[in-house]
Amino acid sequence: MYRQVIFLFFALTLNAQAHDMSPAYPKFRYSQIEGVSVTRMSLYNKRNDSSYYEIGVYTSNWDNIPFASAAKIIEVKHTKKYGFDVYVRNSDLDRVTYICTMSKVLKKTNVPLISTKICSKVK
Amino acid sequence: MKTITTITFLLSSACAWAVDSPISGSVSANCSIYTTTPGEYGSPNPYTLSTASASGGVDPIVRVDIGAADYYKTKFTYPNSFSSSPSGVTDNLTFSGSVTVSSVSVAAMSVYETNKVSVANTVTYDHTLAGSSWHTITSSVTHGSADNTALPSGNYTALVAIECIAK
Repeated sequence: MYRQVIFLFFALTLNAQAHDMSPAYPKFRYSQIEGVSVTRMSLYNKRNDSSYYEIGVYTSNWDNIPFASAAKIIEVKHTKKYGFDVYVRNSDLDRVTYICTMSKVLKKTNVPLISTKICSKVK
Repeated sequence: MKTITTITFLLSSACAWAVDSPISGSVSANCSIYTTTPGEYGSPNPYTLSTASASGGVDPIVRVDIGAADYYKTKFTYPNSFSSSPSGVTDNLTFSGSVTVSSVSVAAMSVYETNKVSVANTVTYDHTLAGSSWHTITSSVTHGSADNTALPSGNYTALVAIECIAK
């Protein structure tokens, strides 16, 4: 019985596609640039239908906060992990609440496209 | 000769170190969103698109894995408009949809369904327990206010947005 359950579980999850980001609660530290802080994030892409993710930094009211990173839309190949730095001005640090990555889905027809967004919270 | 042997033994034993080979790992609070079933629209009649199996469609199913209890909430937004459609869609479009917890890895997660908050086309779940939950999303659209006018032929796309937000 257990073997059947385990088999069924793996059969169901074999084609699963995931979007994963960590840490849940990032901490900013001083960067090498004066007046700018940085935090390191990591994204793991197990979605085979999405290779591009957009980074966003927001206030608690979901207003955009200016930030810098190597790229605002990053390419992460299927089953690859990608580390990226997010730089924010120290004057904006008090307002930074969420750091998010959102999948950019390819246009398909007659299917509901599934966009995923994961947000870490700066406390 | 004995002295040399003793000295050699002492020197070699003094240089022998027990080396630990630790395997380190950490489990952090994290959220993963898995698309277990992508979903598909069926067209049971000329004026309807639906993901319901009775209409020839497939409901999308999404699994949310939560690594630590009470760190995340998720928001599911089912479509209330087409992100792209043929230019001939001029009549009223009526969208409907739902999000339900279809399966859970921990029995106590059954409260997710009763505690969910629905506002317009967005459903929010509070993930108070660690583990996995499967969410089934339905979406359908009818065309035409009174006479159910046929949908123009062409390609239609609609977007389901799923957000996992740290609390």
